[in-house]
Amino acid sequence: MSSLVTARNVSKHFGEVRAVDDVSFEIEKGKIMGLIGPNGAGKTTLLKAVLGLTDCDGELSVLGLDPFRQRKQLMQNISFIADVAVLPRWINVSNLLDFMSATHPNFSRSRAEELLRETKVRKDAKVRELSKGMITQLHLSIIMAIDARLLVLDEPTLGLDIIFRKEFYSNLLNDYFDEERTILVTTHQVEEIENLLTDIMFINDGRILLNAPMDSLADTYVEVATAGENAVKARGLGPIAESEMFGKSIFLFEGVAREHLEGLGEMRSPSVADVFVAKVKGARK
Amino acid sequence: MIGHQLALLKREIWEHRSIYVTPAAIAVVVSLLTLTGQVTVSTFGDVVDMAIVGASNVDEEHRRVALLVMFIGVTTVFSLGAWIVMVFYSLDSLYAERKDKSILFWRSLPITDAETVISKLLTALVVIPLAFLIAVVVTHLVMLVLTSVWVEMQGGDAGHLLWGSAPFFDVWATFLIIAIAYPLWLAPLVGWFLFVSAYTKRSPLLMASLPLIIAPMVEKMIVGTTFFWDAIFVRTFRPPLTSIDLEVLFDDDRAHELVEQNISLLSAIDLGKFVMSPSLWGGLIVCGLMTAAAIYVRRYRDDS
Repeated sequence: MSSLVTARNVSKHFGEVRAVDDVSFEIEKGKIMGLIGPNGAGKTTLLKAVLGLTDCDGELSVLGLDPFRQRKQLMQNISFIADVAVLPRWINVSNLLDFMSATHPNFSRSRAEELLRETKVRKDAKVRELSKGMITQLHLSIIMAIDARLLVLDEPTLGLDIIFRKEFYSNLLNDYFDEERTILVTTHQVEEIENLLTDIMFINDGRILLNAPMDSLADTYVEVATAGENAVKARGLGPIAESEMFGKSIFLFEGVAREHLEGLGEMRSPSVADVFVAKVKGARK
Repeated sequence: MIGHQLALLKREIWEHRSIYVTPAAIAVVVSLLTLTGQVTVSTFGDVVDMAIVGASNVDEEHRRVALLVMFIGVTTVFSLGAWIVMVFYSLDSLYAERKDKSILFWRSLPITDAETVISKLLTALVVIPLAFLIAVVVTHLVMLVLTSVWVEMQGGDAGHLLWGSAPFFDVWATFLIIAIAYPLWLAPLVGWFLFVSAYTKRSPLLMASLPLIIAPMVEKMIVGTTFFWDAIFVRTFRPPLTSIDLEVLFDDDRAHELVEQNISLLSAIDLGKFVMSPSLWGGLIVCGLMTAAAIYVRRYRDDS
């Protein structure tokens, strides 16, 4: 079984609010899945369900376990970064490593120390004395020292400056990721991670708008910039979005073969962000 | 399992430094007071009868009682400190981690909510009392050493006057028993504090104490009975641990009688009565229920 996460008709309601609404998807081993959605789309709720932090309706299996009922076993093989601020501020680095070694069967202290040597984080420092960027480096070092099958990241670089953000993802990709591992990451800054994703999932109002391998996006989505008569023709082919730029009309097509679009104007692959905006707006109509 | 629990207990001590800082601070203050007391007495050396301070003019029994009273007095200060630390620790234990969001980190590790909450219960009921007991023993010894130096300087025989008369075993064994038994007696309160700490969204101290005050009042006004009053206030300060009535100590004449009987503290402890007390077991059941509720809240609440 290569599917690490399987969700079938998963829902989570808070009173009248449907935070996650009848969602089905699979995440396979060795993938980096990006879960993209605007604020309040249900990303965090879905992640919490995957992590067993909240109960949900429907069928959800993570590493073959029921995440809510078998949390302890699950957490031995999952690591999780919720937000940069969640490391306890009173603990010092070496105590944190002691605690991890004592409680996590898949944690390698020497690996964590090796990773920390690359940073400016001192072992006798308390978390509260570290800068936001350093806290993230510390957390990432700890997480990367856990031999986990699934890594879940919820807005891991929120509030960090651009240098740390770039470094965060390059460390993750170069020093951690391999075909045995799977990463599920949420963000609303999609342009920052689109190059490292293998798969992408859009979520809005608790529903999945798109779930596809990244390399299929270029086949499915085409952007055409055109003007005049060609613009009228293009409009006739049913674009999912249209915008104006420098006097030209830009059309975004979904699932329209390139040969139909040829000759209409300049064709290019749209950015993930453009596809995302088009899908979200389309869903709201 | 046990490895996890030890790591969790260690974590509590790292986080809540008051567990060892408070007893250490009280120990330092008491020792300094002993020292200043002696210096002061020495300064007025001319007018104070050295024989009296050196306690060489009373017989051994009275010396023993004097030392006993000194030991008990010191221990009382520590007990008060232990109470305060225990209350504030249990109110903070499951609240602080939600306030600073570190609960998300702790819950990302393969540790169950039950293991975590139990580590907090054990810290309150076992670790804190033991930390204070160790400080009590150390303080007793420091005081005796300081006093010995002073007595020797005054030309007295400290070995005979102090060390020979000090009822170490009697006092320490008694306090060890109390340090184990009294927290068990307080377990329902600690359980309540843990539950409030896990449950409340703000000011745990207020949220924990208000019901303790209001429940007896409402009961008295509506039903006219005093169950809650007895269960909360009367019960708390009266563990059935002694075979003698402790009020004797506040009655000079009868206290004097006790001295005459050369009573030992240990012989005043009645463990059988304590263990057989239905109120102890009822309290432990309440503590169990409260702890289970705290575990439930930490596990199922979804506002983290």
